[in-house]
Amino acid sequence: MMADQETAVAGGHDGGHDGGHGHHPTGWRRWLFSTNHKDIGTMYIVLSLVAALVGGAMSFWIRLELLDPGIQFNVFGAGEEAAYFQFYNVLVTGHAFIMVFFVVMPALIGGFGNWFVPLMIGAPDMAFPRMNNVSFWLLAAALVLLLVAAFTQGGPGTGWTIYPPLSNADFHPGAAVDLGILSLHLAGASSVLGAINLITTIFNMRAPGMTIHRMPLFCWSILVTAFLLLMAIPVLAGGLTMLLTDRNFGTAFFDAARGGDPVLWQHIFWFFGHPEVYIIIIPAFGIVSQVVSTFSRKPIFGYLGMVYAMVFIGFVGFVVWAHHMYTAGLDVDTRAYFISASLVIAVPTGIKIFSWLATMWGGSIDFRVPMMFACGFIFLFVMGGVTGVALANAGMDIAFHDTYFVVAHFHYVMAIAAVFGMFTGFYYWIGKMCGRQYPRVLARIHFWSFFIGVNVVFFPQHFSGMAGMPRRIPDYPDNYWGWNYVSSIGAFITTASTLLFFFIVWRTLTAGEKVPANQWGEGATTLEWTVESPAPFHTFEELPDMTDKQADE
Amino acid sequence: MTATRTDNRKKNRLTAMVLFTVAGSMVGLAFAAVPLYKLFCQVTGFGGTPRIAAQAPAAAPTDRTITVRFDANVNPALPWRFEPKKTQVTVRAGEPTVAYYRATNWSDAPVTGTATFNVTPFKAGEYFSKIDCFCFTEQRLEAGEEVAMGVEFFVDPEIFNDPNTQDVTAITLSYTFYPAAKGKGKKGGKPRQAKAKQAKSLGPVSVAGRPVKG
Repeated sequence: MMADQETAVAGGHDGGHDGGHGHHPTGWRRWLFSTNHKDIGTMYIVLSLVAALVGGAMSFWIRLELLDPGIQFNVFGAGEEAAYFQFYNVLVTGHAFIMVFFVVMPALIGGFGNWFVPLMIGAPDMAFPRMNNVSFWLLAAALVLLLVAAFTQGGPGTGWTIYPPLSNADFHPGAAVDLGILSLHLAGASSVLGAINLITTIFNMRAPGMTIHRMPLFCWSILVTAFLLLMAIPVLAGGLTMLLTDRNFGTAFFDAARGGDPVLWQHIFWFFGHPEVYIIIIPAFGIVSQVVSTFSRKPIFGYLGMVYAMVFIGFVGFVVWAHHMYTAGLDVDTRAYFISASLVIAVPTGIKIFSWLATMWGGSIDFRVPMMFACGFIFLFVMGGVTGVALANAGMDIAFHDTYFVVAHFHYVMAIAAVFGMFTGFYYWIGKMCGRQYPRVLARIHFWSFFIGVNVVFFPQHFSGMAGMPRRIPDYPDNYWGWNYVSSIGAFITTASTLLFFFIVWRTLTAGEKVPANQWGEGATTLEWTVESPAPFHTFEELPDMTDKQADE
Repeated sequence: MTATRTDNRKKNRLTAMVLFTVAGSMVGLAFAAVPLYKLFCQVTGFGGTPRIAAQAPAAAPTDRTITVRFDANVNPALPWRFEPKKTQVTVRAGEPTVAYYRATNWSDAPVTGTATFNVTPFKAGEYFSKIDCFCFTEQRLEAGEEVAMGVEFFVDPEIFNDPNTQDVTAITLSYTFYPAAKGKGKKGGKPRQAKAKQAKSLGPVSVAGRPVKG
């Protein structure tokens, strides 16, 4: 038995490395030792679904707590309010970390990126299949570490920004924050390895004739995202290491009482944190571009403009970080710079929005479910973008800092917009991934209930935020009750809709009707629709030749 | 086919190597941010970092005055009492002024401390210059010793010409004393520039060396 296993392991490795002819491991070995981009992509998506249940449950708890003023669910009993407040902070922190690092990024970059970048550029697999496996399992380990952290000595209640002094050893003396930091280190290593893999694949393994300017926009979006990961995540890793040594080994990088500077942490964190929000949203741009083009039956309007808008957003994303720090005591000239740099980002995003609209304009639009989600994405992203332009102004931001207005803004622009991007990709590609079609009526109900639900959650938060409702506090004065109540009702709708989605996933996999290679018809022109559905274990062993294709096809 | 795959693999390795280097240097940059940020603050006065001047300005002091307040904090790990002798003075801009703090080591062992500092409002940092300061070096106090520590500074008259600082009528100079890093010797509280020798003049002046009551 043991010998058997070891042979299988060795065989699996060699197979993966040499292109995998004839080797097709089965059972748990197929997944644990996987070097196949489609299987690894599937595992990323499954991990994302599991994490979404945890992160979603946390946010539902938050909304239930905020349903009414006062403390609703003090699980620690009377007299233990402080412990419960810390627990609430852990919920807020865990919700953010899980949604960012273990739901959105795995689904969009690890999941769809792994599945469809090689298919779209006509490559047989990723450049480094075994490194791909390492990336995934590092992320799984990171998720476990984060959940362990949540149950260790009160948990990390720092917020996802981990600002010292709150995150230092004085205020979080237990091991929780250390475990959280290690979890982020692992997740970061996973992302950097994944980014290197994706960039190498896109640079070196495109099929003949697939020039970089013929690449589908989804591949471009993943390329830009991978570069952002490559440059931003190591900075977070550096900062986290300093925080770790501050906490455990007596250094004083961020301790003002020992000659350090806590504001330095804010600079380092947001130098990573701002590109991070583009890491989350740019892959969704890519998916939405494919879908809008497919269901308008037109090539995307202004392809080059779309490409370089993403590149520009990625570039400028590195020089606007301090707009998260207007209240940290920046002088007026510094603020003026960060205001104008931030406002400049509205230009390339505007190019993208108007190019999507121009693609639809005069197109033969087919409102299938992916297209509905893509339109929902555009609506939500514009909503959040408008409040973003408002908040970019330091004068307004200082008033709205740490209120629910900010919460509403970033949930619109990057959180639910990214989730709509994920659903767009799911409904668009599920036929290719599993060979079966989603149940159409249920999917439409899912779209409308989710769209209404999230808007009922987040739109009222603009009003409570403008009225001064602060973030990250479980209790509030009675006068904030109205909009909080409405917002929590939205959470019920959204939660029901999410459960419906899981039901749809189950129905699709077990009872969905079989789909042909190209289920979307003439609008679907990218290479993944030339292979059968579900996509076979190995694709493009013979590289497709794109040399004669027209660039605009 | 095999040949292409091998070529591809070489090319992939090279690309990955370059990308790993990029990631590695970004980690390096994150750590380089610590000294760079410090340097940036010193050069620009960012975050209320005072300037360091070799001597008083050549130009005659102006008649316009500004209030300078003194603030003192001690890291709980340092067994010292530390306070300004005067909580505020009104100075003429451009005129070098000496102010004194009093520090007492109330423990029964010698302790070495060093101080971090800045001024508020932050925007006044670039107009507040220190000629000499006890904070340029580490300070060692014997058990029970009480000393006076001096800081010589001036406010640059340019502060009245900058539109951003028109509303500044008072500047608060704040110090926080903390235990000097062990084993680093003189390097711990390293002089921001080559000011160590000047510091002698204003370094700790033993007031009486008298033991503290209690």
